[in-house]
Amino acid sequence: MTLLLWVVTVFGFVPVQDTVSLQPVEVYAPALDRYAQGQKVVDFEVETLRAYSARSLGDLLQEKSPLFIRQYGAGMLASPSFRGTSAGHTAVFWNGLPINSPSLGQSDLSILPVEAMDRVQLQFGSAGALFGNEAIGGSLHLSSESDFGKGFQAALSQTVGSFGLFNTSFSGGFSSKESTLQGIETLRGLGKSFSAKTRLYRQFANNDFRYQDLAQAGTPEVREDHAQVEQIGLVQDMAWNLSTQDQLKAAFWWQKSDREIQPPMGSHTQDRQSDESIRAVLDYYRFGRHSTLNLKSGFIQDQQIFNGSLNQTRQFLLATDYDFSPGEDWNFKAGARATLVRGDLSTYSATDRRYEFYQSARWYAGEGLSVSLNLRQLAYPENFEPFLPSIGADWKFWENGKHQVLLKASLGKGFKVPTLNDRFWEPGGNPDLLHEESLNGEIGVSWEKKASFSWEQSLTYYRMQVDNWIIWLPMGSVWTPQNIREVKNQGIEYQGKAEWKTGRLEWAWMMGYTFSQALDLTTEPENPKQLPYTPEHQANGNLSATRDWISLNLSSFFVGQRSIGTGGARIMDAYQVWNAGLLFSKLHWGKTSFPLSFQVLNLLDKNYQVLYLRAMPGRSYQLNLTIHL
Amino acid sequence: MKYIFKNQLWALVLLIFAFSCNDNGGEKPLGKYDTGILIMNEGNFGTNDGEVYHYDPSTETLTKDIFELENSRPFAGLVEDMVLEQDRLYLVANTGKVEIVNPGDFKSIGAVSADLDQPRSLATASGKLFISDYGPYDASYATPDSYIAVVSGLDGGTVKKKIEVSNKPEDLFAFGKYVFVAGSEESQIEIIDAEKEEVVKSLEVTGRPVQFFEQNGDLWVYSYDSDHVYFQSFHRDNLTKKEFRELPVGQATGRIALGEDSKIYIVTSSGWPEYQDGVAVVSIFDTTLIPDWTSGSGFYGIGYDQMRQEVYLSNANDFQGAGTVTVFGKDGTEVKSMEVGRGPSGFMFR
Repeated sequence: MTLLLWVVTVFGFVPVQDTVSLQPVEVYAPALDRYAQGQKVVDFEVETLRAYSARSLGDLLQEKSPLFIRQYGAGMLASPSFRGTSAGHTAVFWNGLPINSPSLGQSDLSILPVEAMDRVQLQFGSAGALFGNEAIGGSLHLSSESDFGKGFQAALSQTVGSFGLFNTSFSGGFSSKESTLQGIETLRGLGKSFSAKTRLYRQFANNDFRYQDLAQAGTPEVREDHAQVEQIGLVQDMAWNLSTQDQLKAAFWWQKSDREIQPPMGSHTQDRQSDESIRAVLDYYRFGRHSTLNLKSGFIQDQQIFNGSLNQTRQFLLATDYDFSPGEDWNFKAGARATLVRGDLSTYSATDRRYEFYQSARWYAGEGLSVSLNLRQLAYPENFEPFLPSIGADWKFWENGKHQVLLKASLGKGFKVPTLNDRFWEPGGNPDLLHEESLNGEIGVSWEKKASFSWEQSLTYYRMQVDNWIIWLPMGSVWTPQNIREVKNQGIEYQGKAEWKTGRLEWAWMMGYTFSQALDLTTEPENPKQLPYTPEHQANGNLSATRDWISLNLSSFFVGQRSIGTGGARIMDAYQVWNAGLLFSKLHWGKTSFPLSFQVLNLLDKNYQVLYLRAMPGRSYQLNLTIHL
Repeated sequence: MKYIFKNQLWALVLLIFAFSCNDNGGEKPLGKYDTGILIMNEGNFGTNDGEVYHYDPSTETLTKDIFELENSRPFAGLVEDMVLEQDRLYLVANTGKVEIVNPGDFKSIGAVSADLDQPRSLATASGKLFISDYGPYDASYATPDSYIAVVSGLDGGTVKKKIEVSNKPEDLFAFGKYVFVAGSEESQIEIIDAEKEEVVKSLEVTGRPVQFFEQNGDLWVYSYDSDHVYFQSFHRDNLTKKEFRELPVGQATGRIALGEDSKIYIVTSSGWPEYQDGVAVVSIFDTTLIPDWTSGSGFYGIGYDQMRQEVYLSNANDFQGAGTVTVFGKDGTEVKSMEVGRGPSGFMFR
C-alpha cells in the first residue's frame, strides 16, 4: 500500500477495448470509452493525481493537458476552454452525474480539489450523443472509488507551503472480503462483500503573495491582501456486493469553500464568495451473463453566496441503461435519463425538466477495426432537440511485436441547452433562446512502442463549428443573452511520452503541444479573428528521473499570446512557467510508510497573468508528508 | 462624459487666444497631445482595460493606449472621466483612483490612489481637488454613502476629507470658491464652499442632473427623465436658480455634446429590450428640436469638434472588444469610421 506521490507524471492513453471486459477495478464503473470509438480520451495516472493532491483540477488541467484554463487569480475562478470553446461547452461529470451548475452552465475548476478524486478522464470533441448536454468542446469525468478486499487502510496527509498554504487530509477505508473483479464471469462467483472509504480534507491558503502592481505609479511590489481561500470537504464512497450478480454503489461529496475574491489590479473590491455543494449518487448494477443493467439516481445541491446574495439550485436525476452483447462482435446499450432542476436564484425561481433517451452500438468488424454509433434524443419543456448522432471508428491497422499503430476517426454533434440564468434571470433573461449546437470531426493516429525504450505518440486533427453560441450583451443598462456567435474551430493536438533506463536511473519524458484556432465568424466573417482568451499555441512537458525510491521531476507549461477582446483588442504576452519536484517514496518507520515530497512551483519566479491584470503568484514551495497507517 | 463641455470651451478659448497671440513667440511649445482629439475608452467591467487613444485629424493618425505608451504601465482601471484643469489632465477611474498626467506628453504627475470607492468626476478649486464619488455599494446595490472627496493638492495625494452629498453625484463645476455638484439620483444641485469644505446650499432641480456646461455666459445643468430633457441655469452671484427649459425628448441618456450655433446633441436610447439608439439635437436658445438626427444601436459616447464642425459618435460594440468611432459632418453625412479601444465613451478636443 505504498502511496507513490510522484513517480512518473504522464498521461495514460486509454487502450482500445476490443472485447467485453470490465476495467480491472474492484468496484464496477462503466468504461468511458466503451462506445467512444474514434474519439480522443485521456486518463490521468494515479501518480499524477497524487502529485496534484494539494492543488485544484484547474491547476492539473492547465499544466498537464491541452485545455486552456482561464484563471482569475490564485485560487480564484478557473474555467476550462476545450478546443477553443467556452467554459459552458465542457460537460463535467462526477461518478456519472453531470455536475455543472444548471444556473451558470459551467463548473469552477478551482473548487474541485484533486484531493477529492481518484480518477480524472478527459474526452475531447463534441459528444452530445454519448454524454448529453454541454459536451461541445469536450467533457471531464471525475470519479471517486473504493476497493474491495483491502482490509483496513488509513492515511494522513499534511501539506505546508508558501503564502500560508496549509492543507490537511485524512482518508480511511475498510473492505470486508478479498475479491478480484476481472470480468463478469469472475464477479458471478463472488459472495457478499462490503467496502467503504472516507476522506476528509481542509485546504487553506492566505494567498498573500507579492506582485508588481501595474495600476500604481512606479509599479511597486505589493502584497495581495484579498485572495484568502478555504475549502473543507468530505467524500464518502461505499459499495456492496449484494449477491453474485448485484452490486450497489453509493458516493457522497460535501464541500464548502469560502473565498475572498481577488480583484484585478486597479480595483479594490472586497467581494466574498461562498460555495457549498452536496452531491450524492446511488448506482445499482445487475450483471447477467452478457449484460449489465444500471439504475442510477442522483442529487446535487449547489449554494453560492456572493456578498450576501444567495443563489441555490437543486438537481434530481434518475437514469437507467442496459448494456448487452448478443455475440462476440456486437455490443449494444440503451438508456434513459430524467432530470429535474429547481433553481432558487436571487432574482428568480424556475423549474426545468429534461428527458433523454440514448442508445449506442459497437461492432467489431475484424482486422482490428471497431465501429460505434451513438444516438441521443433530448426533450425539455416545449423543446425537442434534433436527434444527436455520432459515429466513430478505431482501426489498429499495424501491429508487429513491439509496435502498434492505431487510426481513429469520428464525427459527432454536441449541444447546450440555455442555462436557467440565460432563460430566466431578472432582468435580461431570454426565454426565446435556442440551444447551442456543434458539429465536430476528427482524425487521429497513435503509435505505441513497447521495448526497453518505449513510447506512445498521438496526433489528432479536429474541426468543429459551433452555432447559436450564447453571449450576454448589453442592451442599454441591461445585459441579455443572445444566440449571436458562430465560431469555426480547428486544431492539432500532439501528445508523446517515452520511458527508458540508463543504469539504475529510470527516465520518463512527456510532451504535449496544441494548436488551436477558434475563429469568430460573427462580426467580420470575411476577416474572422481568434476568439478572446484563446491561445493558438500551448505546450507542456515533463521529465523525471527515478533511482530506487528517489524521484526528481522537472516540468513546464507554455501558453501563447491571446487577445482580451474581439476586434483589435489588446494582446497579452505568452508565458512559460517551470515547476520542479523531489519525492522520497519509500521512507519507513516500522510498518508505517511516509512518503515525503517537495515541490517548487513557478521555479523561475515568472511574472505573468493568465487573464488581464489578474496577478498570479511568483515562486512558491510546498512540502507534503503522508503517513500510511 | 462630463469632461467635454467645459473643456471644449476651455480649448476654444485657448484656441482663440492662441490665434490672437500667434506672434508672441513666448508660448511654451505644444506637446504631442496638446492638439488633436483624446478618445476616452472606458474599458470593460472586471477587466480594467480602460485607456486613452489619441487621434490627429490632420494626419488621420490614431495612437493607441497613450497612457501605457508614455508611462510604461497600463492604466489599469475603468476611465469614467477626463478633466483638463490647471494645466493638468485628470483621468478619473471609477475603479477607485485618479491618475494625473501632463496633458502635453501624458507623463504621470501624480495620483489619488487610496480611499476612493467609485469616483465619477473631478473639479479643482482653491488649490484642491474635489472628486465626486458614488461611495460603496450596500447589500442591495444602492449607494447611500456618496461623497465628494477632498485632496489638498493639485497633483494628487491622500484624501483629507469626504463631504457627504446626495446619492450618486456626477459632474462637478467650479467657479471661484464654489463647487457645484450634480446629485443625479435625488435631483439635487449641491454647492460646496471649497474653503470651508462643506455643502453650503442645496437646490432641487427636475430630472436626473448629470452635466454642467456654459453657454452664452451662463452656467447650466443638463438633466433628463424618461420623457423629457431639462436645462436649468443658475445665478452665480447669489447661487440661485435662474432659467429653466423643458423639452420633449424621450429616452435621453446622460451623454451630450455642445455643437455649432448653441446646438446640443443628446444620445437617446430605448434601452432594454428593443435597444434603439439615436441622437437628438436641441437648443436652449432657439426652437431647434430634431428627435432623430441619426439612429442606430450601441451608441455610447458623443463629442463635437468645434474646429472642424464634426460630430464624433462612439459605439461600444457590446463591450466584446474594440469599439468604433464614427465621425459625421454636421449635416449628418458620415466622414470616417475607426476602430478604437473598449467602450469608447467620450472625447476631448484639444
